Amino acid sequence: MSHHSQHPGRVPFSYPLALSALLLFFFAISMTAGRYDISMDDMWKIFSGTINATPLPPELTSSKMVLVWIRLPRCLMAILVGMGLSVSGAVYQALFRNPLVSPDILGVSAGCTLGAALGIILPGESVSLVQFLSFICGLIAVSMTLGIARLIAIRPVVVMILAGMVVLSFFNALLMILKYFSDPYDELPGIVFWIMGSLTRVTWTNLATAGPVVVMGIFIIMLFRFRLNILSMGDTRASSLGMNPLLFRIILIILTSVMVSVMVATCGQISWIALIIPHMARTLVGPRHESMLPVTALLGALFMLAADGAARAMTTAELPVGIITALTGAPVFGFLLYKNRGSGWL
Amino acid sequence: MAVALECRNLFFSHGNTPVLKGISLAMKSSTFTAILGRNGSGKTTLLHCLNGIRKANSGTVHIKGTNIQTLSRKQVAQHISLVIQENPEVFPFTVLDVVVMGRAPFLGATQVPGTRDYKLAKQALETLDVAHLAEVNFNRISGGERQMALLACALVQTSDIMLLDEPTNHLDFKNQYLLLNKIKQLCRQSNTAVVAAMHDPNMAMLFADEVILLKKGVIFGTGPVRKVMTKANMDQLYETDTTALPFVRDGHFFIPTDVIETIG
Repeated sequence: MSHHSQHPGRVPFSYPLALSALLLFFFAISMTAGRYDISMDDMWKIFSGTINATPLPPELTSSKMVLVWIRLPRCLMAILVGMGLSVSGAVYQALFRNPLVSPDILGVSAGCTLGAALGIILPGESVSLVQFLSFICGLIAVSMTLGIARLIAIRPVVVMILAGMVVLSFFNALLMILKYFSDPYDELPGIVFWIMGSLTRVTWTNLATAGPVVVMGIFIIMLFRFRLNILSMGDTRASSLGMNPLLFRIILIILTSVMVSVMVATCGQISWIALIIPHMARTLVGPRHESMLPVTALLGALFMLAADGAARAMTTAELPVGIITALTGAPVFGFLLYKNRGSGWL
Repeated sequence: MAVALECRNLFFSHGNTPVLKGISLAMKSSTFTAILGRNGSGKTTLLHCLNGIRKANSGTVHIKGTNIQTLSRKQVAQHISLVIQENPEVFPFTVLDVVVMGRAPFLGATQVPGTRDYKLAKQALETLDVAHLAEVNFNRISGGERQMALLACALVQTSDIMLLDEPTNHLDFKNQYLLLNKIKQLCRQSNTAVVAAMHDPNMAMLFADEVILLKKGVIFGTGPVRKVMTKANMDQLYETDTTALPFVRDGHFFIPTDVIETIG
């Protein structure tokens, strides 16, 4: 696996391999979870029937519809969002040399949420308008943060985080105005539901737009995995090692911002994943991004798939998945803080 | 000795505050050059200008005769390494992880260090007698060991020209001598041009071949240690009356005179 495998003669335990197997297993389970009852056996029949092109028994046709048009895009989106958010979190933590940051700090999510709220309030009930506005406002928020930081940049990292706070507060204030003036019976619940984050609305069309962006983003970030190690050592050291830290930071921030706004535009705010998953990965395989990025992506996918499956299975009313990620994420983060005590970053 | 690094008429301002006011220097291979000066005299800024991390307002820097402006950051990094003051890192990297980063200027932007790079990193740790630290968490070792690890990182990067920013800061008595002794050995064995910003003139007297006296952004003395480090120069550099006591290598050990008077 790496230079760290010091046990000659013993096959090193491969986390990516084990996690991939686990992901496949979770995927199958998650496909059966939900209000419409589909057993593992039915699913296998539908799967093999589709592969062999044999006609399905009539009682399974509606099951097939549910699987193909509702659950499959939803589960794929859960994997995608889990990977995208957690990898973005890992990138932010390296770029800002701070293990407690996630893409939220530059105002991406706040911008996306404001855009979505705007879309909900505006006349005409178009889902694609909500998503479009969400995406645009997310990018505007990050551009504002970068713009403010650029105006006063002497120590870019600190200034950027502070500029993020300014933009975040401003967008949250705007959001509160919208909430205040929205119709409390019709629009306000929609906005609140959006803020909580959910995968219920996911369709194949969403997947077709968000999928390529997120996959490409993760691929490009993976290419720079060794450079992320160096960037996490600070600007002076990165420059003396022949890098242009400012250029890398700008490229990676723009890249992750586009990824995050695409994801928030389709699923709403899903908290904690970007913050805790990179920590879990570092606890398992160490801080080198060569090994921790793949593990981060797989763990994020697993976590999101499990959370969304639980959201569907637990109650018939279906909890927003954002609540589940927050409910499990916060205690897990507490545990990780305890487990990593004394390792240097606390 | 051949001139490895040279600067002519460097000016640098931090906002409206001038920091370097016309610095011209030549630093030779296989030579340990110490930069002495009080806090805020511009030592760190000078080091950063010498390897192009900070862009001087005017003046030129030449690496072995090539103007630094005609080189990319990566090319500069292949000839000049910099050791900044040690600090715990944010992430618990192992010492080997930190050292192998020194290979960065020789790798493509998307390339990952391979077996050969890790081998070179381990060799550097062996050269500095700290091979046993390879798999240890960089944050959990002592300050002296961390400084050794960063020196190994610089050694992996390049031993042509090494810039050191107060290398003995935070180190205990024994480690200060250990580290400087190692640097001195490297300087001779690898033909390195060592340029170190230092606080303690007596350490410079002991280890350096040449000194640069920097005061408020201006050089007022440069040359071989025993020629330049006189009582008169020290008095002027540190703005205090010093007493020169006999010291090894026909040199002097400097102590502020009022201290001697106080302690009797």
